[in-house]
Amino acid sequence: MLTRRHFLAASAALAGNLFAVPKDSGSPSPDLEKLGDVALREAKKHNATYCDIRIVRLRDQRIGLRLSPERGTGKTLAVPNVSEDSSFGFGVRVIVNGAWGFAASPIVTPAEIARITGEAVTIAKANATIQPKPVILAPVKAYRVRWETPHEQDPFAVPVAEKIDQLRSAAESIKKNARVFSGSAALSLHSEDKYFASSEGSSIQQLILQIYGNLNATAVDREKGISRSRSYQPTQASAGWEYVPEMNLGENAERIREEVVEHLSAPPVRAGKKDLVLLPSHLCLTIHESVAHPTELDRALGYEANYAGTSYITMDKIGTRIASEHCTFIGDRTSRRALGTAGYDDDGVKTTQFTIIDQGIFRNYQTTREQAHLVGDKESHGCCQADSWATVPFQRMPNVWLKAGPAATPLEDLISGIDDGVLIDGTGNYSIDQQRYNFQFGGDAFWEIKGGKKGNMISRAAYQGRTPDFWQACDGTAGPAYWLQFGLTGDAKGEPTQINSISHGCSPSRFRQINVMLTD
Amino acid sequence: MMTREEAQTLARKVIGFSTFPECQVTITASEQAYTRFANNGITTASFNLRHNLSIALTRDGHTGDMAVSDLDDDSLRAAVRKAEELAAIAPPNPQALPPLGPQNFPATHDFDERTAAARAPEMIPHVKTVIDAALERKLVAAGLIERTHRVTAIANKSGLFGFHNASDSQMTTTVRAPDGSSSGWAGQPSMRLSDIDSPKLASTAIEKCARWKNPQRLDAGNYTVVLEPTAAGDLVRLMAGSFSARSTDEGRTFLSKRGGGTLLGEKLFPDFVTLRTDPFDPRQPSSPWTGDLLPTSAITWIDKGTVANLAYDRYWAMKTGKQPTPGGGGGGFGFGFGFGGGGSLLMEGGNATLDELIASVERGLLITHFWYIRTVNPQTLQQTGLTRDGVFLIENGKITTPAMNFRFLESPVRLLKNTKSLGPAMRVRGLEGGMMIAPALVATDFPLPSISDAV
Repeated sequence: MLTRRHFLAASAALAGNLFAVPKDSGSPSPDLEKLGDVALREAKKHNATYCDIRIVRLRDQRIGLRLSPERGTGKTLAVPNVSEDSSFGFGVRVIVNGAWGFAASPIVTPAEIARITGEAVTIAKANATIQPKPVILAPVKAYRVRWETPHEQDPFAVPVAEKIDQLRSAAESIKKNARVFSGSAALSLHSEDKYFASSEGSSIQQLILQIYGNLNATAVDREKGISRSRSYQPTQASAGWEYVPEMNLGENAERIREEVVEHLSAPPVRAGKKDLVLLPSHLCLTIHESVAHPTELDRALGYEANYAGTSYITMDKIGTRIASEHCTFIGDRTSRRALGTAGYDDDGVKTTQFTIIDQGIFRNYQTTREQAHLVGDKESHGCCQADSWATVPFQRMPNVWLKAGPAATPLEDLISGIDDGVLIDGTGNYSIDQQRYNFQFGGDAFWEIKGGKKGNMISRAAYQGRTPDFWQACDGTAGPAYWLQFGLTGDAKGEPTQINSISHGCSPSRFRQINVMLTD
Repeated sequence: MMTREEAQTLARKVIGFSTFPECQVTITASEQAYTRFANNGITTASFNLRHNLSIALTRDGHTGDMAVSDLDDDSLRAAVRKAEELAAIAPPNPQALPPLGPQNFPATHDFDERTAAARAPEMIPHVKTVIDAALERKLVAAGLIERTHRVTAIANKSGLFGFHNASDSQMTTTVRAPDGSSSGWAGQPSMRLSDIDSPKLASTAIEKCARWKNPQRLDAGNYTVVLEPTAAGDLVRLMAGSFSARSTDEGRTFLSKRGGGTLLGEKLFPDFVTLRTDPFDPRQPSSPWTGDLLPTSAITWIDKGTVANLAYDRYWAMKTGKQPTPGGGGGGFGFGFGFGGGGSLLMEGGNATLDELIASVERGLLITHFWYIRTVNPQTLQQTGLTRDGVFLIENGKITTPAMNFRFLESPVRLLKNTKSLGPAMRVRGLEGGMMIAPALVATDFPLPSISDAV
C-alpha cells in the first residue's frame, strides 16, 4: 500500500526535500532562498540589470484502465496503465544590455546555478548585438510569500489502489452494454512545486495541484463500417482529492454507455444555417480559441507571427464592439478551482482579475511586465507563464470566462426560442486560423432542436463561422445557476511549443443562424 | 552530453537496484539551443539541458512506470522502490509480453557534431541575414532557428541495450507587410545546421509576401490544387497511424474493410503513390528501434498505389499469428516515429519541377502550407485546417492572382486518390511539428468550403 509517509520519503529523495516547509509557514523554504541567491548574485556580477530564477519540481501521476474484447475469444481484457513522472530543475532569465537571455539545467546545485546563469548572460549579450529596442519591464512589488492551491487532501497521497477501484467501476459500467466495443477511464494528477526569486526582491514559493478525469466509450458497427464514441469530461480542476467525488464518474459512465449506442445509429445532421445552443462543456473551447487567444497582446503585436499567428483584434479595436451586449469576458487567474489559477505569475506579479470584453466592447489585452508599457498600462495583468523549469516564461492566457446571463434565464428558455437548431455537448474537432477569424468546431454529442424542444441525437455535425460575426450572433446566455467552468490542458503556443492549462467558464448560450456542416 | 558508456553504466546500476524479474530503463538526455525573432529583433533565446530516466518494472504481469530527472543514487533507488510499489498495486496487464533479449540495432547515422555543438555565434548570423533582408524591403520578419542534440538509451534485465545519438536543426521565417496586408513563409529542417540556407529562406518568404499582397476573395468550393512539399507533407503524414494492424482489424481505420477484414493488397491509389518509412535515409533522423524495441528496417506501406503492409506490434502479431513489423519507428506505425515525430516517413516524388506542376493546371490554386490541422473523423481521416502565408490562383498554367486563405475539409486518403502528378520529394516540417519527406503534388477536387479573412 502506498502511504503518505512513503510518498513524502520518495519526494524528499527525488527533489532533495527542497520544497518542504511547515504547513502554516507563510515564507519560502530557506534552502530554496539560498539557491536563488546564487543566481541573483552571479547575474549582478555580470552586470545584468534584471535576473530571475525558477526552481521547479513537476510531478504527474496517470492511471488508466481500458476494457476491450480479446481477439478470438471476445473475453473482456482490462489493460491498465499506471505511471508517474517527476521532473526537477531550474531556469535563469537575465536582461543584459537591454536583451533577454535564458538557460536551464536539471542539476540543481549552487555550482550549476552559477554556471547556467553565466550561460544566460552570454546569450543575452549575443542577442543584444541585434536588439533594436531594450526590454522595458513594468514595475512590480517585491513579495516574500508562500501560496498553494486551496485543498483539503493531497491527491498524490491517496492510495493508487483506491483510484484504480474507482476507474474499474466506471469502465465496467460502460462495458455493460454488449454493443459497446471498448470503455476506458482515466485519472491524472499534476503538481507543480515552484520557487521564484528575482533581482527586484521577490521570493515566492507556490504549490499548484490539478486533477483531470476522463471516461470514454466506443461502439463499432462493422457492417456499416463506422465507429462512434462518447466521452465524459468532468471539469478539470485545481483542487485536492476532495474534488473527485464531485466528478460523479459512476452516474456519467451509465449515461455515456447508453449515449454511445444512440450515437452509432444517430442520423446525420442536415447542413444549413441553424441556431445553436452550446453547453459549457463545449463553449469552453470556443471561448478559448476565439476570445482568449485573440486578446493576447503578443499575438496582436506580431510576436507570435511565425507560429501561433497574430490577431484580428488589433490595437485600434480597443473600445470598439466585437461581440453582442450579452458578452462580458473576464481574464482571471484567481478563479476558484480553475486550472490557470495561481498566486503569482512567472514575472512575480500577484495574479488578478480584469475585464477583457465588457458587454461586447473590447477593453483590455492580456499582458506581462514586458508588454504593459506597449498598451500604456502601468502594470502587468499577471499573464506570464512557462510550462517547465526548462522553458522561457512568456505571455500565456489566464482563465477567461463569460459572465452568466440574468438569473431568471433557464436553459429551457434558450431552447424554446429555437425553431431549427442544434444543441452541442462536449468538445470535438476544432480548428481556427492564425488571426482567429475563421473557425470550425465539432462536438462530442449533438441533439436536434425542433419547434422549441430538444429532440433526438444526431451525428456528424460541425459549425463554421467568422469570430466577430459569431459573437455578435449571441442573443442570450443562461443564468448563474447554469454557469460551469471546464479546463483545457493542451493549450499550445510559442516556439518551441509550450503547453498551458487554463479553465473557461460560462453558462449555456444561444447563437443565431450559424453555418452547420455535415462531416464524414 | 552522456556517452554510450555512461548511459550503459547508469542503466546497469538502475537495473541492479530492482528485485523484480523484469526491468526496462530508458534514458534520454538533450541539449537545445534556439533563438526566436519577431518584429525584426530577437525576442527570446535559450540554451537548455534536460535529462530523464524512466523505469518500467514488471512482476507476474504487474507493471509500474516511474520517470525521474534526479540521477543520484538515492533518488534512483527511491524511484525504483516507487515503481515497484506502483506495480504491486497495478492490475495485471493481460497484454504483457516477455521482455526481449539482446538485439542487433542498426546504425542510423543521425548525428552531426557541428550541429550538436552549435550556439549563438553559429545561429545569430542566420537571424541577421533574414532580418536585414526584410528591412531592406521594408518588411517585418519573425522566425526561429534551433538545433537539438538528443541521446536515447534503452536497456533491460534480459541484456538488451541500445544507444542512439541524434542531432537536428531547423530555421523558419514568416515575413509580413508592416500593415498586415500580406505574409510569406519559408522553412528548412536540416540534419546539418551548416546546410541551413538563410539567404534562400529570406528570399522565398519575402517573395511570397510581396506576391501575396492584397489577396482577392475567390469563391469557396472544390479546386484543383498544387500543394508545395510542406503542404503535401502536412496532410500525407497524418495517414501514418492508420496502418496499425490492430486498429485496422478492429474496424477503426480507412484500411478496414466493411463487414470485417482489411484492404491489405488492394490498390487504392495511382501507380506513382509509394509511401515508405526508411530509418536509413540520410535526410532525416529516425530511431534504430521500434516502440516494441525491435530493430527498425525500411518498410513500404503503399507500393505503387497498393497497400503493401500493416504494422503489427508484438502483441497483435502474437494474437494473429504474424511476425511483428520491424519498421515505422513505433510499436505500430504512427504511434511515435522516434526523434521529432514522423521522422522516417517518406513519400516518393516525381520528376516534374514545381513550375511544371503549376504549368499543368488550367485553373487551380497554389498552396504554400496549412495551419491548425485537426482530425474530424479518425476513421476516414477527414481533416480540417486552413491555408496560410501564400495562396495563389493559377490560370492557364500561370500564377495570376493572390487569393485569400481558405478552410479545407479533406482526407489525405482522398487527396492521394485524386493526385495527378508529383514533383521531387524533399524533407519538410509542418508548422505544428510533423516531419516527413514529401513531394509537391497536383490533386483535383480539393474541398475548400469557406474563406478566411486571416492574413
